[in-house]
Amino acid sequence: MVLRALRGGARDLRSRVGLAATPLVGVAPSALLALLLLFPAHPTSGGLSAVALSAKVEAASPTSIASPMLAQATPAGTGIRGRLDIRRLARPVERRPDVSAVGAPGPRDLNDLRRGVVYLESAPRAAFDEREPGRAIMDQRNERFVPHVLAVMLGTLVDFPNSDRTYHNVFSLSRARKFDLGRYAAGRSKAVRMDRPGVVRVFCDIHSHMNAFVLVFSHPFFSVTDVDGRYALPAVPPGTYTVVGWYEGEPRITRTVVVPATGWADADLIVP
Amino acid sequence: MFTGLKALGLAGFVLALATPAAAQWLPDQPLTLAGGHVVIGADVTATIGADDPGFYNYTSYEFSALRNFRLGVSAEVRANDYLQVLGEVRLEQGRVFDIYGLFVRVRPWPQRRFDLQAGRVPPTFGAMALTAYGTGNLLIGQPLAYQYLTSIRRDALPASTDDLLRMRGRGWRSNFPLGNTDPGPGLPMVNTSRWDTGVQAHGVIGMFDWSGSVTTGSLSDPRWRDNNQGRQLAGRLVARPHAAWQLGASVSRGAWLNRTLDGVVPNADASRATQVAAGGDAEFSAGPFLIRGEVIRSRWTVPAVNAPVIGGDLIATSTLVEGRYKIAPGLYVALRGDRLDFSEILGSRLRDTWDADTWRVEAGAGYSLTRNLMLKGAWQRNRRDGGRVRHDDLVAAQVVYWF
Repeated sequence: MVLRALRGGARDLRSRVGLAATPLVGVAPSALLALLLLFPAHPTSGGLSAVALSAKVEAASPTSIASPMLAQATPAGTGIRGRLDIRRLARPVERRPDVSAVGAPGPRDLNDLRRGVVYLESAPRAAFDEREPGRAIMDQRNERFVPHVLAVMLGTLVDFPNSDRTYHNVFSLSRARKFDLGRYAAGRSKAVRMDRPGVVRVFCDIHSHMNAFVLVFSHPFFSVTDVDGRYALPAVPPGTYTVVGWYEGEPRITRTVVVPATGWADADLIVP
Repeated sequence: MFTGLKALGLAGFVLALATPAAAQWLPDQPLTLAGGHVVIGADVTATIGADDPGFYNYTSYEFSALRNFRLGVSAEVRANDYLQVLGEVRLEQGRVFDIYGLFVRVRPWPQRRFDLQAGRVPPTFGAMALTAYGTGNLLIGQPLAYQYLTSIRRDALPASTDDLLRMRGRGWRSNFPLGNTDPGPGLPMVNTSRWDTGVQAHGVIGMFDWSGSVTTGSLSDPRWRDNNQGRQLAGRLVARPHAAWQLGASVSRGAWLNRTLDGVVPNADASRATQVAAGGDAEFSAGPFLIRGEVIRSRWTVPAVNAPVIGGDLIATSTLVEGRYKIAPGLYVALRGDRLDFSEILGSRLRDTWDADTWRVEAGAGYSLTRNLMLKGAWQRNRRDGGRVRHDDLVAAQVVYWF
């Protein structure tokens, strides 16, 4: 119902966005946007290697840039910032006990489970203005999706390069986006356009322990936290908002925040 | 007997796992205990199928692979980087309990891919041993070489070629005049319904993956305890020249007769009656395609007793090709062509294959409701050059849940 309202053009000041069960809203991660500005229309196999790009995404602050369009209509230097304090980190998914194997499997990397996502439950009208769809990367390295959590705007094309020597087969059966990229080898990449808001759980059909999340937002007020849980939602117009802290598949905490006419609002969120 | 009604009920139960309410409490990933030192996984398979009067799908457990409810629970105890204990228990038909695998894995040098395993270890031989069940199986029926019961038995022997020819196409319940004269199930070419007991080594060198084992049973009769003072030696080499390709070769040699026959058959020595097998396999996959094939040739030494004597070894050859194509997210179609050929022997009146040549075509589809809950449907055409029922077209459905 919420989605229908959004697609029907109901862009009132307090348009709600997201799925009925797991409301999701937010802003494109600024690091990603910065990269897109640096490398516009970056092809999957050209320019910088997919691995290098992905590494930059991880290294950069995820919230350094908000929507330029929104920023024009917003007083400079306003927004929400703080920390998503995750008290109990999730455990990485273990490999299934492979009793049929004649030997132990090779080494693999574990998911980085220190990051969550913070977003506004509802967003200002200007947040829904049309904009160019971006491009993002979720790499496959050492039997792990990197990053483990990716947050993107609606319409973003997400590349899934394979940087391992073995085959991978990325797929999702999530309602927000069902896809199956089939098997492909190292050095190759396939892309999926995220064309519905929601949570897309990503898996590998060959390695059952590989899993990741792509959060697809209809507006740009979201931020993937850094490893210490810090986040910033820049260019949020003055007003009262509900901020949501999301971690490993679920919205875990909400908090009402008032953004002043000038300056930043601080909001720390604790996930017990 | 596991009835279709029971299977239907169980299938309904497993399907109920897919409801959103169930999804809240049912695991979708392995359970971890003791800080990650203990990992537990499971798979539940409910299969319903048409009656199989030709016993084409009967296994050495004496039930049809198309009518079964199986619960498998596997566990891995990771003491440290050097030592793990792995085990799997299975409940078949909802009542037959077996410790399928239980072994210690030692990795002497954690940085090197070299392992030693001891206990009831997984099969060394063949490519399909690991893909014959549950989610690993593209279809519902198992490959003929790994399931179909030939007429020969470990505890009974034909006195002449005529005795053997009389049992053509009756492997699910054959009987012979020497040894155990009661009717009973024969042996498959490669038995993956049970695992063998012994030691196994495995290593990876570049694109090559090798393994070897010394165990108590034989390829067609893996065992907990030795029954003939013979040993099975098996080896397998796999090359992966490219991620798309896997090429494998397997060999095995083991004593297959029970020593209870030593006192029955003149000059018999069960430890010298061997099964020798060799196999080659290949797998290619790319995008939505997966194609694999395997050829296995097995020869059993049989003591000669009365005329007309079984002059040479009994030989069986299996040929299998199967493929899968993903047509949409969560949905695939699959096809398998499979045949089993037997060598000829000379009876007092005719020359014929010692068991009836059999072939099977199976086509099916799989649909994943969630990542770890899958529905499968399959149609199977079986043909056999002998026996009472020479053809059988069957349909089956299966629900698989795992974590």
